[in-house]
Amino acid sequence: MKIFWSFIRQSFQLVSIYRFNFFAQIFLILLRMYAIYWVWRILYTQKPGAFGVDLNQMVTYGVMGMALEMFMWSRPQNYISRQVKSGAIDTDLMKPMDFHLQMLARSTGETMIGILLALPALVLAYFLLGVSLPHGIGTGLLFILSLALGFLVLFHLNFLLGALSVVTLDIRHISWAYYSLVRFFGGQMVPLWLFPTFLAVFAQALPFQATYFIPMSIYIGKLTGTEALQALEFQLIWLVALVLISRLTWNWADHHLVVQGG
Amino acid sequence: MIQVKHLTKDYQRVKRREGFLGSVRTLFSADYQTTRAVDDISFEIKEGELVGYIGPNGAGKSTSIKMLCGILVPTSGDVKVNGLIPHKNRMENTRQIGAVFGQKTQLWWDVPVIESLKLFRDIYKVPEAQYKRNLNLFNELLDLNEFQNTPVRQLSLGQRLRADMAAALLHNPRLLFLDEPMIGVDVVAKERLRTFIKEINRDQKVTILLTTHDMTDIEKVCSRIMIIDHGRIVYDGSLEQIRAEYGKQRKLVVEFEEETEDFSAPHAALVKSEGRKKWFAFNRFETSPSTLIADISSRFSIIDLAVEEPEIEEIVRTIYRGKSESPVMEAK
Repeated sequence: MKIFWSFIRQSFQLVSIYRFNFFAQIFLILLRMYAIYWVWRILYTQKPGAFGVDLNQMVTYGVMGMALEMFMWSRPQNYISRQVKSGAIDTDLMKPMDFHLQMLARSTGETMIGILLALPALVLAYFLLGVSLPHGIGTGLLFILSLALGFLVLFHLNFLLGALSVVTLDIRHISWAYYSLVRFFGGQMVPLWLFPTFLAVFAQALPFQATYFIPMSIYIGKLTGTEALQALEFQLIWLVALVLISRLTWNWADHHLVVQGG
Repeated sequence: MIQVKHLTKDYQRVKRREGFLGSVRTLFSADYQTTRAVDDISFEIKEGELVGYIGPNGAGKSTSIKMLCGILVPTSGDVKVNGLIPHKNRMENTRQIGAVFGQKTQLWWDVPVIESLKLFRDIYKVPEAQYKRNLNLFNELLDLNEFQNTPVRQLSLGQRLRADMAAALLHNPRLLFLDEPMIGVDVVAKERLRTFIKEINRDQKVTILLTTHDMTDIEKVCSRIMIIDHGRIVYDGSLEQIRAEYGKQRKLVVEFEEETEDFSAPHAALVKSEGRKKWFAFNRFETSPSTLIADISSRFSIIDLAVEEPEIEEIVRTIYRGKSESPVMEAK
């Protein structure tokens, strides 16, 4: 897996290049963290018992959701669509490395950087907004495992969207709706347990909750014990399904590219 | 190295109808139109050859190169690259080939060149010693060290192509495809790329297939030339051969003492007339320049004379137009 490290190293290069972009990004994250912090504080003074968890847990959830926005910084779908449109996808197909793996390695690198850059904002939030750490090492480790699964699920959803661009060429319009779907059904801002029943049923069935909701719920201690393990199982099942679907879809996309010439 | 037999590639394209209603109808029922990009071509390239592959736009050059790279599946026919069928063993094949597409780069746009090279080193699993040796070679021949720490987007086109050459050769491929690698490059940069291409072909015995629109590239670099038009190979042979086959035509340029009416000489046609200068085209096997000059000078007084040999570019133009003096032949 040395190759993953090579891609991560490559992504580090991007940090120095997009310096300004990143600082702006961190500043934005902080602003959003601050905003969500106040939203929950005000709501809790109105109806303290209505949200299923205490204020500190909810603030932590909200702030984490803003930090994990950086999860979405890696967008392999945009890369794929750009390469297909320009024809440069040929150079990717001509590498002695599976394309799906190339994209995964690339996305892993970018996501690691994204998380690394969200860390300063989280540290500040820890001191300024009273965000709490997970209860115990076990919860912490479970969270990291769940977060890794969350990343993999998100990557495969992105990858599938990218594969679609092989036939549609442009995915910008779909992307916009897609990001909203991920954020909303992923529970990035509002946890799923606050959804009205009919929406919650939807959200439970969709893979999006594996991206934000499950890791963050584990982090704040909302999901514990067997529930947490079941949630991890849910992530894992979706991941396996998405890997299979991605392989099949990319085979089809690759066939489309090499038989019809793009 | 390369064996191609009766290779054919058809593209299926949706036939678009005109106008708004037409495009709406296309959404629901599409008519497919088949175009033949490569039409039953056969050729063989031996190890160590440096072949110029030329043809007008849309002739089928890129299509055939893609099939050799394994990123396009032929409709029919056989392709073999160093014993492998490219589209069936794409990964294995990529290890023995390198490619530079002048129009697109395989380097990471935002990061310094050297970082992309390091990544490719890891992707191709190039041993450290070989990597170092190659970098030294690229520094020496391409002056890579001058711009290796610059992000690709800040490079000049000439530098970018040099960097792409380095990337394509990093894993020591036995075969190199250069698809218009010098498009838009200035004269000086072109000259060094040509020298580089010749050197790696000579010193490293890399077999090279070079696609270009610049006949000077062909004349300076290639030993063999293949011309493709409308998906068919219309010429395959050495540069000398093509001159001998197609270069029967000569031009005599005569400058007269005073302006004269247009006239024609035996076995020669007046092709251009400009003030006191006239150009006569003739076939050197039908008449000799001396007979022609004798005939003309007997009628008018001449102050200057020149016989022009056809440029390779003109020969190729003749072949493209299908107006070749002799029927199309497969030399060799």
